[in-house]
Amino acid sequence: MASVRRDRSERLWLRYLILGSWAIVCLAPMLWFLTIGFRPRTEIIVPHPIYWPSWSLDAWRLLVSDWPIASYLRNSVVAVAGSVVIDLVLAIPAAYALSRYEFRGREDIGFYILSTRMMAPAIVAVPIFFLFKNIGLLDTVWALMLVYAAINLSLVTWIIRSYMLDIPKELEDAARTDGAGDLTILREIIIPACLPGIITAAVIAAIFAINEFLFTLLIASTSKAYTMSVALANFTGGSDGIIYNAIALVSFLAFVPILIVVILIQKHLSRGLTMGAVKG
Amino acid sequence: MASIQLNNIVKRFGSFVGVENMSLDIADEEFLVLLGPSGCGKTTTMRMIAGLEHPTGGQIVIGGEVVNEIDARDRDVAMVFQGYALYPNMSIYDNIRFPLRMRKVPADQHDRLIRRAAEMVELGAFLDRKPGALSGGQRQRAALARAVVREPQVFLMDEPLSNLDAKLRASMRVQIKHMQRQLKVTTVYVTHDQIEAMTLADRIVIMNRGIIQQVGTPDEIYSDPANTFVAGFIGSPPMNLLAGEARDGIFRSEGIEVPCPRTVTGSVTLGIRPEDCTVGGGHLQGMVYGVEPTGDITYLTVQTGKRAVEIKAARDFRAPIDTPISIGFDLSRLYFFSENGERIRRPA
Amino acid sequence: MRMSLRACMWAPARLCRSKPMASSAHSIKAVAPATARPSTGTLRRRSPRMRSAFPYLLVAPAVLYLLAITLYPGIFAIYQSLFVVRFVKWTWAGLDNYERILQDAEFWAALWNTIIVGGLSLGLQTVIALALAYFAYRDPLIRGWRIIYLMPMLFMPSAVAFMWKLAFNDGRVISDLLMTIGLTHGNVDWLASVWLARLTLIVADVWQWTPFLFIIFVAALQGQDQEIEEAARLDGASWPAIFWNISLPMMRPVIVVAVTLRGIDITTMFTNVYIMTQGSPGGATETMSFFIYRQGFRMFNFGYASAASVLMLAMTILIAQTLVKRAFRSGRS
Repeated sequence: MASVRRDRSERLWLRYLILGSWAIVCLAPMLWFLTIGFRPRTEIIVPHPIYWPSWSLDAWRLLVSDWPIASYLRNSVVAVAGSVVIDLVLAIPAAYALSRYEFRGREDIGFYILSTRMMAPAIVAVPIFFLFKNIGLLDTVWALMLVYAAINLSLVTWIIRSYMLDIPKELEDAARTDGAGDLTILREIIIPACLPGIITAAVIAAIFAINEFLFTLLIASTSKAYTMSVALANFTGGSDGIIYNAIALVSFLAFVPILIVVILIQKHLSRGLTMGAVKG
Repeated sequence: MASIQLNNIVKRFGSFVGVENMSLDIADEEFLVLLGPSGCGKTTTMRMIAGLEHPTGGQIVIGGEVVNEIDARDRDVAMVFQGYALYPNMSIYDNIRFPLRMRKVPADQHDRLIRRAAEMVELGAFLDRKPGALSGGQRQRAALARAVVREPQVFLMDEPLSNLDAKLRASMRVQIKHMQRQLKVTTVYVTHDQIEAMTLADRIVIMNRGIIQQVGTPDEIYSDPANTFVAGFIGSPPMNLLAGEARDGIFRSEGIEVPCPRTVTGSVTLGIRPEDCTVGGGHLQGMVYGVEPTGDITYLTVQTGKRAVEIKAARDFRAPIDTPISIGFDLSRLYFFSENGERIRRPA
Repeated sequence: MRMSLRACMWAPARLCRSKPMASSAHSIKAVAPATARPSTGTLRRRSPRMRSAFPYLLVAPAVLYLLAITLYPGIFAIYQSLFVVRFVKWTWAGLDNYERILQDAEFWAALWNTIIVGGLSLGLQTVIALALAYFAYRDPLIRGWRIIYLMPMLFMPSAVAFMWKLAFNDGRVISDLLMTIGLTHGNVDWLASVWLARLTLIVADVWQWTPFLFIIFVAALQGQDQEIEEAARLDGASWPAIFWNISLPMMRPVIVVAVTLRGIDITTMFTNVYIMTQGSPGGATETMSFFIYRQGFRMFNFGYASAASVLMLAMTILIAQTLVKRAFRSGRS
């Protein structure tokens, strides 16, 4: 008995040492980066780092006055939201078929959809660039929307499919004998029953779209279609060098709403990130 | 409301045979129970009647009309499922309303019909709850209400009580039978529980491996089994089946010697129900293996050779294990089965 | 308890009131004709062909969309890889691009860098995430740990890259901290050394993406049957022994799926290279993705970039068809 108790307390200090250390590893760089957002530029790139800066709202003023930040934000929102809508419209019927019907080639079609997730953006970057150039969509929000939708379609389909697989077949049989047709069953029974999965898929797709970098860099060549992510990368050159305090501020402005949404869907996160392969 | 005919129904899943050449007439207003072990094809048969599965061959007739090609949604049958299959996102009220909406019953009648159906199963107070907030018994009653709300031609019930605890099951059983008699709707009921089958059915269909073993009233199934499968399936504990040799009017097996009709000869199986055995008498010699008092009777297991024989003994019977014991059979209730398991009937 | 009592009383109550019941049943019958029993004309007799085509109709839009965005670029890349492209002028080159690329030291370096940086990064992430998951999943504060550990993953990748660029190079913070604890004496130039430059990429990736694996591992550990752990505990096993002998083998399919997904993402690494190192020093941190980008959009060798894309695509398909397919099959069962 005594040995068991000692055994436990030994584990506890080790446990908290390790968990605490990693928490510091996670939080310290972020807190430090947050202070960057509120420093004058003169205290960022210096021979000896300054840990206790003099506070300033330089970055904030810069954002509001010099950068069309509202327009970047609007581009981000339009492209991301639009892509998620496209994904849901395409993915829900596909997931319904993949999860509820027996048909020849179902496994292969499902795997094809999954495998598009594995393609490096760089592989299709050149052709996609020419494609949008030829149809005149280069440097538009619409092109970004279409690309984001394509990147996330496999993910969204597989997450929703996984949740649909969990709905008992009986429910569908019951609806059928009650007189409902296929599409009615999808609309009235299946979609409401897997709503958590649909929301999870939408949130994860939105985050990936917000973070997407390479395509956005290629497609959005002028500030007309810049999104937040690429705007950051593009306001680095020029005579001013990299404007770190503005970058830090913008990244935290984007981080806070994402964190809130993710905490709301926390329970479903592991399942969403593995496209349904791991049930949380 | 409607009779049902199954004519030479076949259902295959790939090479696996679910139902083999099944023919059955179900009378109007009849309560028919499909009974059998899991995988025997009973649920598949029911799902074909519902239109949720399509037969590989044969004809299904409901109310005089061939329905093979008609979708489940248009067959006008209502089904109650083992897992209740209540729509989790809808209130009980909306659950019961769903079939009315789907079948385009005029909206001004909905409320009255729903409340009446809920009243029948005493669920009136729970109409605005979600299924998740109800107990198992209440959910099953909600599922029943959803089935009765639109007076279908046929009720199909797929093991509706098997997720309930024993007490609740008994009371729901009475309710289902009562309701069926009231509404006079042809009902097909699938179960693997013989008590449910015996208590509910007008007729029982016993199935095994996709083939009908016997069709009959509960009395017939119990007292006149057609083969060893039925004999060994019905009764609790079921009939003792003892293989042996019959010659010159005597059946012999290890530790057993009983008279038999002279028409029974060769390798046969003797069947005797536990309640037709008595302690004392001289037909079976063996050792006491176990004694299980239950209050109203005592189950006695006797070992002869490598076989165990079940006997229902008097409530106060007790015996230490491994003591020799002699058992007598009621000779008027012996059953004999041929080597292929078919019953050997006395010549008329 | 109250529920079951109520239910037991239910049957007798029904019997007592059987008379009004019967009349209510009758009134149901009376309105029955109003329930529209479909007449034969309106019955839907769907042909088997229609029934079997339906699921294909449902998946068709998604599949067509993906084909448009993968198959078309694939064919385009193969076609373009057979040309030397100078702005708008395409000159037929046959397999020249491939011949050149297979002899291009920069291409092989990029492949090697991708494997070495990605492999080290993935290995570190997996070990750290497993260790953290092991310590965290039974902890009463697990919800708090999970949110804290999650945060780096929710930061925009480009911002994370800038953060580490500042910490390592422009702001000299890491050097300063190392000097404080006495590990180095002067300022470290992280971009001057091959391995130090790679290390900065690895640190940034591990910092941001260890949460991905952690979240999945913790969920898998929490989802395991507690009775098995309790049984092992009663058998006298310590927690490390339980983890090593029972939990870890049981989570194997989960680990395979998670690491495969992460591994695929790592091989596409671009953002950090673009922002933090631009491939320096001397191409030691140039990944495949960055190689393609640089050939195509910096040097405008579109044909050459396409040839590299085709080679990378072939590798992806090979990996997808073998590893990933197996991972997802086993992960699902």
